[in-house]
Formats: sequence, C-alpha cells, structure tokens
Amino acid sequence: MKGKFSTKHLIVHLILLAGVAVVVFPFLWMIFTSFKTTGEAMKIPPTVFPEKFVTDAYKTIVTSAIPFGKVYANTIISTVVTTLVQIVFCSMAGYAFARIEFPFKNAIFVLVLSVLMVPGQIFLLPQYQIVQKLGLLDTIPALFLPNLFSAFGTFLLRQFFMSLPKELEEAAIVDGCGRFRIFGQIMLPLVKPGIVAMSIFTIKFAWNDFMWPLIVNTSMEKMTLGPALSTLQGQYTTEYPMQMAGAVLAVLPLVVMFFLFQKQFIEGVAQSGIKG
Amino acid sequence: MKNMKKIAALGMTAILGASLLAGCGGSSSEGGDSAKGDSKGKTELTFGIWDENQRPAMEAMAEAYEKANEDVSISIQLTPYKGGEYWTKLEAAAGGGTAPDVFWLNVLHLDAYVEGGILDDMTEVIGASDINDSFAETLVNNYVRDGKNYAVPKDFDTNALWYNKDLFDQAGVAYPTDDMTYDDLVALCTELKDKLPEGVYPFACPVDFQTWYYQTVYANGGWILNEDATETGYGEAATQEGIQCWIDMINAELSPSATTLAETGSDAMFEGEQIAMTLAGSYMVPEYASNETIKDKIDCVEVPTFNGVEDNCINGLGYAVYEGSKNKEAAEAFAIWLGSEEAQKIQGETGVVISAREDAQQYFAKANEQYNLAAYTNHSAEAYPLPVCNKAAELYDMEATWLTKAYTGEMSLADACAGLKEEADALLAK
Amino acid sequence: MAQVKAKMPRKKASPRQKKDWIAAYIFIAPVTLGLLVFYIWPFIQNIWFSFNDVNKFNMSTFVGLENYKELMGDKEVWRALGTTLKYVIVTVPVGIFLSTFLAALLNAKIRGKSIYRTLYFLPSVTMSAAVAMVWKWMYNEKMGILNSAIKSMGGTGHNWLTDSHTALYMIMVVGLWMTVGYNMIILLAGMQGISKTYYEAAAIDGAGAVTQFFKITVPMLTPTVFFVMITSIISGFQVFDTVYMMIGKTNPAYESTQTVVMLFYRAAFDYGYKGYAAAISILIFAIIMFVTVLQMIGQKKWVNYD
Repeated sequence: MKGKFSTKHLIVHLILLAGVAVVVFPFLWMIFTSFKTTGEAMKIPPTVFPEKFVTDAYKTIVTSAIPFGKVYANTIISTVVTTLVQIVFCSMAGYAFARIEFPFKNAIFVLVLSVLMVPGQIFLLPQYQIVQKLGLLDTIPALFLPNLFSAFGTFLLRQFFMSLPKELEEAAIVDGCGRFRIFGQIMLPLVKPGIVAMSIFTIKFAWNDFMWPLIVNTSMEKMTLGPALSTLQGQYTTEYPMQMAGAVLAVLPLVVMFFLFQKQFIEGVAQSGIKG
Repeated sequence: MKNMKKIAALGMTAILGASLLAGCGGSSSEGGDSAKGDSKGKTELTFGIWDENQRPAMEAMAEAYEKANEDVSISIQLTPYKGGEYWTKLEAAAGGGTAPDVFWLNVLHLDAYVEGGILDDMTEVIGASDINDSFAETLVNNYVRDGKNYAVPKDFDTNALWYNKDLFDQAGVAYPTDDMTYDDLVALCTELKDKLPEGVYPFACPVDFQTWYYQTVYANGGWILNEDATETGYGEAATQEGIQCWIDMINAELSPSATTLAETGSDAMFEGEQIAMTLAGSYMVPEYASNETIKDKIDCVEVPTFNGVEDNCINGLGYAVYEGSKNKEAAEAFAIWLGSEEAQKIQGETGVVISAREDAQQYFAKANEQYNLAAYTNHSAEAYPLPVCNKAAELYDMEATWLTKAYTGEMSLADACAGLKEEADALLAK
Repeated sequence: MAQVKAKMPRKKASPRQKKDWIAAYIFIAPVTLGLLVFYIWPFIQNIWFSFNDVNKFNMSTFVGLENYKELMGDKEVWRALGTTLKYVIVTVPVGIFLSTFLAALLNAKIRGKSIYRTLYFLPSVTMSAAVAMVWKWMYNEKMGILNSAIKSMGGTGHNWLTDSHTALYMIMVVGLWMTVGYNMIILLAGMQGISKTYYEAAAIDGAGAVTQFFKITVPMLTPTVFFVMITSIISGFQVFDTVYMMIGKTNPAYESTQTVVMLFYRAAFDYGYKGYAAAISILIFAIIMFVTVLQMIGQKKWVNYD
C-alpha cells in the first residue's frame, strides 16, 4: 500500500475522521454513562470516562423480571419475519410499479405512497382493532403483522428497478420470457443493492418498534426488547445510567450484527453491481 | 430463479412458522376464553398497573388474595406510563372489551373515563364495605362523580421539603425544621446562598403545580378552577401571590433559573447535589433512598406554611373495575379487597407509596425509618386535592406554557395570568 | 415516456398486454391488499373521523366541517406549520448534501472504507428515543459535554435547548445525525448500481474523477436522490420523536419547537380530541401530498430513468 497514500487521500481521511467523531461520540457517551454512578452522571462539569467504573445499572436490568432469552428471541423472530416477507412483497410490487404498464397503475401507486404521508400514529388504534378481531392480541405474530406490508420498501425498490437499463428486459421479452421469469431471473438479482438497503431499514425499524408491541401485547414473554426495557423505567425516574444501559443493551445486538455482516451487507452490494 | 425460490421459500417458512406460533400463542392467551376459566375452573382476573417499582407490592397482594380465594387467579399487566402507552393501550383495549378487569386510574383521567362509560359503578360494593369509614373523605371523593363511586383509593402522594445535610454542614447553617414558614424558608435560603459551593443553589423553583405553586395558591386563598369547571381563577390577586412567591426566589437567585430547571429537573439537581433543598412528592422517596450519592446525606421536613396555613397538595391513584369485564363481580370483590387493611398494609410496607387507608398510612414512614417521612402524612387530612375536570390535561399544559413565560421573566406574572385566563376560560367554554 | 405508455391501456390491449396486466396485479397484490387492510382503510376511517367529534373511546358525533374551521383559526397550528416547514427546508438539502458527499467519498478507493461505512451507519440502527435522550443531555447547559467542551476552549456556553432561537436547530442536528448514515447507504447502493463501463469509457476519454462524478454519477444517481429527497421531505414533515423526547412542557422554547405531528399527537393522545387530531392529520397529509405531487411532476426535469 506504500506510495498510494497521496495528499488527496489524506484530506479525504481527515474529513471522514472528523465526521466519525461527530457520529460516534454520542455512542461512546451512552456507553460510558451506562457505567457511571448516578451521582457521577450528573456531575458539573461532566466527566467523559467513568471515574468509578460500576456495572450497577446492568445488574439491575439483568436481575429484573424480564425473561431476556424470550424477549431477544421475540425481537429476532419479529425482525427476521418482517424483513423476509417485506423483501418478497416489496420487490414484487416494486418491479410491477416500475416495469409493467397496467390499468390504474398510477392511481394505485399514489394510494400506496399516501400511506407514508399521514402521521403513523393514526394507524395504531385501527390496527389494534384488526389484530383484536383476528384473535391475535398478545401473540408473536401480532408483533409484526401490520409491518409486513411496507409502502416505503415498495417505493424504494421501485426506484431501484426504474434505474435499471430497459434493454435487459426487452431482450428477454423478445425471447418470449414470462414476466415472472424476467422478474426472478433477470431483474431481481440486479436490485440486490436496493434489497440490502431496504432490509437494513426494515431491520432497524422492526428491531426498534416501540409503541406497537406495548399496545398490542401484554405478557412479558411476548414482548420485544426495547419495549420490555422501557417497562423498567419508573414514572418519575432520573436514573440516567440505567436508561443508558437499557439503550446499550437494546442497540448492541444490532450493532454487533452489522459489524459482523457489514461485508455481506455493503461489499455484497458492490459486487452485485451491474458489471456491464 | 434459484435465488427467488430461496427467498420465497424462506418467506413461506417464516410465515408458516409465524402462524404456528400464532396458533400456540392464541390458544393460551385469548382473553375471552381464559376469562371463563381454565381446567381447574378458576376465575382469571387481569390487573393493569404501570409502575415497575410497585410491581413487587402488587404481586404480593395478588398472591395473598389468591391464597384466600383459591378459585381466583390474578395476572398482572404492566404497561409503562411515561410515553402515554398505559392510557393508549387501556383506551384501545376498552373499546374491544379486552381491558384489564381491575386497573390503576388517576384522577387526571377519571372524568374522561367516566364519560367514556368504561368504569364500573362501584357505589354499592363500596357502600357495603368499610371503605367509606376507613379512608379520608377527600380521597374517596376524588373518585366520585355525580354521587357515584368509580374507584377504591389506592395510595396518595403529598409533598415534603428535602434537604442535603452535608451541604448544610459545610455551610454551617442549621437544618430546616417541620414548623417553618415560607418566610423562614426564604431567610434560610438567603443565609445559605453565599455559603454554598460555587454553582450550588439553596433551593429550586421549577414551573411545577402540584409540588410547588398550587400549595401556596390554595393556602393564600386563591383558586384555579371553580366548582362547576366553567372559569379559572388565574386573574385573582390571591392566586397570583401564591405563584409570585416562587418567582421571587428565582429573581433573588435562591433558585436556578427556570431555563436551567426546564432542562435539568429539580430532582436530578437534588440528586446531583446542585441544590441544597427541594420540594418533592412522596413518590420520589424510593428513588432518593436508593441513590448511592445522597441517600445517607438527606432528610425531609414538612412543607413550610404559607400565611400561617398548612399547605400541601394531595393526589393519588385508585383501583377501578372495567365496565366490560367478563368477571365483574370477582373483579369488584378483588378491587374492594385491595382497599382492605390487609392489602393496604402489604402495599405500605414496601415503602414505595403511602397507602390511602388511614390505618395503613403509617407503614410508609416505617419502611424508611432513617427519614422523617411523617412530614408527608402529618397534615395529609388538610391537603388540597388537585383541580380536575375533563379538560385537565390540556389545562395543565396551557398553564405550564404561560407561567413559564412569567418564570423566565419574558412577561410579568399579571400579564401571563391574563393571557392564560383568557385562553383557559375559552377552553372550558368549548 | 411513462406518460405515453400509461395511456396505452385505454386502447385495445393485446394478449401480451393482458398477460402483463395479470402478472402485474399478482405482483402488487400482497403489498396492496395488506396496505389496504392495515393502512388505507384506517386512513379512510380517519377521514371520516375528521368530520366528527370523537372522544378517547371512539364515541363520535357528526360535526361537519367544524374541526376544519377550528383548524383554520388555530394560531398554534399555523405556528407549528411554520416550524415544521423550517425544519424541512433546512434538513432536507443539508441532509442530501451530506449523505451524497459521504457516499461519494466512501465510493472511492480509499483504505478502511468498510470501517467508515459501519461507523457512519451506526446512528441509523439506534432507537430514536434513546438517541434523543443522549443528545438532550449532551446539550444540557450545566451538565452537558457540549458546553463543557466550548468552555474548555475559552467559550461561554449556551442554553442550547431552552433558547427559542437555537432549540429547533439543535433538534435538526439530531435529526440529521440519525438519517444521514442511512441515506448515505442508499445513495452508495445507487452508486454501485451504476455500470462500470460508463466510467471506463469516460476514463479512456480522459475525464478526471470530479468530471466523472458530475457527468456520470450524478445523472445516473438521480432516481436514488429523488427517492431520498421524497422520503426525507415526508419524514421531515412528520418530525416527532426527537421533539417529544427533548422538549418538555416547561421549556421556554416549547412553543417555538412544536411541530404539526406534535400537535396531532397531543390532540389525539393527551387530550383525547380524536376528531380534531384527524383533521390535523389530514392537513399534514394534504401538504405532503401537494409537495410530493409537485416533485413527481418536477422530476421529469431532472431525474434520469434509464
């Protein structure tokens, strides 16, 4: 690598590193605070590193009534199911909206998009009622059922399908390939970057979904991570280290997973790019 | 095609798996079926609460009740209060008949819930019990609308003046006492002011109604809301004096500015030893008592009197029964039992809240004997209940917004109150 | 092109087209039906609610246009709209610029780019509630690290979150912090979808990296930028979590930071005016729809499909 390191690269690195500082600092702050005593967390002036390194906050959380194994499993199930189903459904719909002409296409697409344009909270109660009618209150599927259908994902993948060269498909159509084959064999592999991008969004969303699990499920055995941790906070509490420890525990698995799979996530995107 | 198949297969597996899970989940927890009773023929009651700190007490009570009533089993549902999830869920569930059979209710939400018709009228069962004789009238009446009882009082909270002994010792100033007046408090703060370490204030005056200014407003003969909730009393001089006394302390730099307190609440500042004294509701005691930094340095006394009048605000929770409960009688029986001496003693002994029942109030102070917690209960009988109506939540928010302007000095209190009264009266007229 | 084709179905469809239609409907069926049941139907109910007085328990009385009349005369709504608009106008361009800039840097051949990507991406996997809490605290006038850093460099510090002149901008920073990483990933994915042959051809013609970026990357990336822009505007108009978590009711900057979704939330969940809340949500919808349609029309001028 020697010699390759030009001034231009140095500037790029400096810019990127400055950005990294801004991006990462709040995380470090969160982690450091979770190991402070409540008193130190509220000191003036603030300390960055814990003067006295304590794990009380984590002990309190771990010894609480939350069945961690179950709760983690629920979160993973809910996230995985949501993501896989969304990939299938959204790529299908995204392809049709991008690549096939059919009656009422624009009207239906606008309808789909309109879902994004109202505050998400308006869906809370009606969705609760639907789940209730289905007899699914306080079950694992209730956690993800409404999230299986994503207007955002459909729109995202439509954009990716739209940016693919038309010639690819036209040749196949001339060859007499059916739409399903064209979709599965030719087009789908080409939008892999889009699918990855969508999955990341979905994973984040499903993992961190907060209000919905609390409303629709009741027993701790059927709760996801974030909401379960939130039940530990009292109505008036000012226990910052405890809140930070909760946030760390909730986010950590996702960060670790992203670190482990980031090659597959991002480099995979690069390799799947059209090579021309 | 291979990829597509793989993805599709994965998707299908996931959905299948999910529906299988749905099957098991559904059968074990469908409110309707299980409520009719499981194989042993037990009546299952659900019990909705919001505070993790109180879960142990609630569980102990449920256990005690199950032991005495073998045909009943109780499951506790905890939903956090902070982001409003407890109420959102309760309201959603009430519509579909799946609300908990017995649940916590505060006065703030009572009117809307009575109007919504989801609360069981408990007048008869309460009348047949010893509740009317064993609780302060104010507390029972908190949950009475149009002559009907809608809840059994659970606990109450009042306020006390807390101080940090270390900071007083360092300053060489004598501790506050139970018999102080508001003027004594100001004098004490003034004495402390220059003797405290850099950046530490003697006291804190946040824009807080329940723990600060309502107490002095009422003690001063002022009022917030008239009897039939048609008019507000912010225009009265007596009301404004009860608020101004706290603003004066900020202006005299005996308290951090309202701006600072808006960011860092008085509790956080007290726990961080940035103020020497603060007022605090009894619900803060468990947190103070478990805070390693301050728990051994602090104690409390009664809220100082104002114009020679004992002043304290009282608020609290009740146990309500869901009108749509499938086991209403069993739920009522449990709710009534929750108001019994036995239940209120179990709750009180955990030291987390003050049990509402008169003969069980003592346990709160006993649970934390290192503190002078009698300060909370000594005058609870004379304490003022919060003004409530079905628009209380909005009224409180409106009040906070306007009074903040007066606390920060953006406008005079008289102007803020004039603006507030106009807006609030318009709200009540709607 | 899309226009011309869209009109085609009016003419008699060929068998090939009919087959296409059936395929298309099968493709869109799962998402569309799911959205219909779980989102669009509730949305239609919501429209109905907006003409009613609805309480916490969904008991309603028809009031016609009352809610909308009240909305028009509600000063708070207009102020909140202004605040929201300000939020959108600042965060959308800044966000797009930052994420495109970062994506371009990380698309270049530099060492450690996978580490950079991961780090930049971190904020977008975090729960916004937790993030807002961390930032709120870093901004804290007394105990915050921001002022402590400023003071150590000789500055004086500021009450960032309680000053009505700065609070909204502080919230914007948090919003950008949370979204730039994700938009960067989308744009990066878009950049990597651009065929290498274009660059190879340009390199042969002697075009430098900067020329390549503006002549190839930017035009080819416009569908992705368009997506990022639309979704950023939509989510900008709906900013809620950060404000809700960071600005308390006694904050002097409370009034200057209330967004329309905050008003909606308070009306629906705190005060139980569901009819009025529905009307607010329809207003939000109408505004976003208007802006989106404008962009859908405007995209023909700058978005390069195919």
